[in-house]
Amino acid sequence: MPALEVKNVTKFYGGFAALNGVNLQVEAGEIRALIGPNGAGKSTLIDVISGRASKWTGQVHLFDRNISQLRASQRRLIGLSRSFQRTSIFPNLTVRAQLRLAAERVGGGDTESLLEEFGLATLADSAGGAIAYGDQRRLDLALALIGQPSVLLLDEPAAGLTFEESKLLAQRLRSLAQRWNVTVLLVEHDMEVVFSIADKITVLQLGAVLAEGPPDEIRRDRSVVEAYLGSAA
Amino acid sequence: MSATRFFGWAGLAAIGPLVAWLTPSLLTQSLVAQATFLAIFALGVGLLLRQNGTVSFGHAAFFGLPGYMLGALLPLKLMPVELLICAAVLLTAGAAFVIGLVIVRVHGIAFGMLTLAVGQAVYEAATRMRGLTGGNDGLSLRLPPHLFGLSIKTFQQPGGMLIVSWLVMVAVLALVSVLGASRLGVLTEAIRDNEERVRFLGYRTLLPRAAMFAISAAVTAIGGVLFSLYNAFISPDTVHWTASGSALIMAILGGSGAFWGPVEGAFVYFFVKDLLSGYTTHWLSIIGMALIVTTVAFPAGLAGLLPWLRKLIESRQGEDPVASS
Amino acid sequence: MAIQLLNGLVYGALLFTVASGLALMFGLRRIVNFAHGSLYMLGAYIGYSASAVLGFWGGLIAAAACLALVGLLLDSVVFRPLQRRDPLTTLLVTFGLALIAEDLVLTVWGKDTLSFAAPSVLAGDWSLFGTSFPVYRVAMIGFGALAALGLLLWLRLSRVGLFVRAASQDPVIAAVQGINTDRVSALVVAISASLAGVSGVVAAPLLSLAPNMAGDILVDSFIVVVVGGLGSMGGAFVTAIVLGQINVLGVVFMPELTSLLPFLLMIAVLVWKPAGLAGERV
Repeated sequence: MPALEVKNVTKFYGGFAALNGVNLQVEAGEIRALIGPNGAGKSTLIDVISGRASKWTGQVHLFDRNISQLRASQRRLIGLSRSFQRTSIFPNLTVRAQLRLAAERVGGGDTESLLEEFGLATLADSAGGAIAYGDQRRLDLALALIGQPSVLLLDEPAAGLTFEESKLLAQRLRSLAQRWNVTVLLVEHDMEVVFSIADKITVLQLGAVLAEGPPDEIRRDRSVVEAYLGSAA
Repeated sequence: MSATRFFGWAGLAAIGPLVAWLTPSLLTQSLVAQATFLAIFALGVGLLLRQNGTVSFGHAAFFGLPGYMLGALLPLKLMPVELLICAAVLLTAGAAFVIGLVIVRVHGIAFGMLTLAVGQAVYEAATRMRGLTGGNDGLSLRLPPHLFGLSIKTFQQPGGMLIVSWLVMVAVLALVSVLGASRLGVLTEAIRDNEERVRFLGYRTLLPRAAMFAISAAVTAIGGVLFSLYNAFISPDTVHWTASGSALIMAILGGSGAFWGPVEGAFVYFFVKDLLSGYTTHWLSIIGMALIVTTVAFPAGLAGLLPWLRKLIESRQGEDPVASS
Repeated sequence: MAIQLLNGLVYGALLFTVASGLALMFGLRRIVNFAHGSLYMLGAYIGYSASAVLGFWGGLIAAAACLALVGLLLDSVVFRPLQRRDPLTTLLVTFGLALIAEDLVLTVWGKDTLSFAAPSVLAGDWSLFGTSFPVYRVAMIGFGALAALGLLLWLRLSRVGLFVRAASQDPVIAAVQGINTDRVSALVVAISASLAGVSGVVAAPLLSLAPNMAGDILVDSFIVVVVGGLGSMGGAFVTAIVLGQINVLGVVFMPELTSLLPFLLMIAVLVWKPAGLAGERV
């Protein structure tokens, strides 16, 4: 059975269909990249799957369990976790306190080792709002990774990162996915990251799946290229 | 807890009895006692502000409700007075929890307005339901001759009440400090910072916030109980929104960032007001200006004054070597 | 019964003229002006003193002018410098100002209730629906209606009104379009303050003058603005009228619960629709 399944999801914003009958299946342990031009509905899809969006039709299944009616907090507790495009951390709590808060809820282990794991040990006592942007992104990701979720949704994790930081991110994601057998659905614009770690790519355009396949196939797919160039025109 | 902290708390607790013992003036004793009631009141408001990040313009309702409950129920002799007092505080907290479940869903300004509404509703009920509350004339509390093993006179005399309320204040202060570091404390601070992310960490956010609202009401209610016992009287003025406003000012003046800030704010507010009333009738303006200055220039309040001064001194010392050469 | 409805309209109209300023200020600058009741009060007292020399109408004009000035000062000294800060800061500062205003009134005019006579041209009663009804109260309804109409026309038809509505929707975009949001804001605050002040004078013959009048009208105004939808004129209008009716009819039918009704209403509406009945728009 697939780890994550999206069945015929449609979401309207007024008269505009942000998502129009999207179907998606991600196998356990797979790293799937979700790409597409701006406004394609990628973030909206992540919002629907994670429980952040309201008023949508269709179904979302996690290991064959229909989770469409579950609240976001409930989804997290059964192993579906996400990070955020716009860094979402706690500015006034220390890094240690934030990690501990996350760990306590999902049985994520001892805080000191978590700090080591995510390279945040030196910043443990700094307030979330006081650390550098790159560190904040890492913290955002760490909060999503605590507790070894079975399915991880990442919304542009490389956004705002330097070239070096993006490479490190890709490495870290790949090693974590292998170690923990996490299924990853990753929305990303940074093609370096996408092509370096994705097992399979789904291309979204105007709320529908345009193409799907291994990276090499997608790279060569003409309709995909047109979609990107076409939307810029 | 370390030895220093223990002695620190013990020392703090000792101040009250010391003042009572060393001050012959009944007036001073009475003033300090009254200041502690307000300090506990302000602690509740400050707790809410720090943990939930929300402002309450109606906390006076929770300050006065226990008094009204006692006034109405004491004559009925339903249970020992000690139990009745506990029940009054718990009922107030319970009511706050239920109200909290409804109103903490609403954010920012609207929440403040809702607390104003709740407070004023209680005020209006107090003035209108004459049969129950005595209306504008207020309600006398028919207290028994003994309470918690002590003669009731202890609670009605300045010296005795000073010791009692000071010790209660220190105990509440300790509880608030523990609460801040507890799981609920950290959770509510996180919710205050970023509610959405807390939900995506797997937590429910409504219950903790409502619980914190209820706890802040309970803290204020304790102050209200002491106030009612001392005066053996309760009236609608006690639950008017201006009373809530004063407590809010105390919490802000003192600085809600530190858990003990509101206590400082309450004492300063109370004594400055008392002092100034002797010299000028314009203490309202002075309080108003103090609030404005604190909010605009010293958001950390009095509690933040020492760290600020320290930083100022440290930065000046850093400059000296250059200046003196 | 009809007379009760009319009485309700009197208070409703008054409430709307005061609350509309509050709604405008929130819509434009996201400001919760805790000193708004004080503006109403100051207008009443200034009008009272000025009328001793200039008569009722002179007092009215004096109040309008003075409060417009106060509004301008308020905007430039308080609202504009603090606009980048947490809205709570402005709320607390206006709270502090409300205290200072109360002290001012106590100092200059004392704490006793003062009465203020209606202008002779509006004195006396009319025979309406079988009973006599004071002419002045009819005039108060008329004043409210005029204010509402004036505001509506101004917002819908004038260029500045368009700017106000645009800036209320999105101050950043409005500024980018070249609207001088600072000047628009100053104008709006001046008008709001002036309107509140004039309302104070208009209300004075009916409600008398006392230092606690600021607080009373403030709480009700907040209810109107929050329930009606922070920033919405239409919502505020409907809520004010409804509240006016509740206040009056409630006293007749359920005196003990009356005073609780506005608050219960506010709680009920806000829980159902946290953005207020009309949501956030002007």
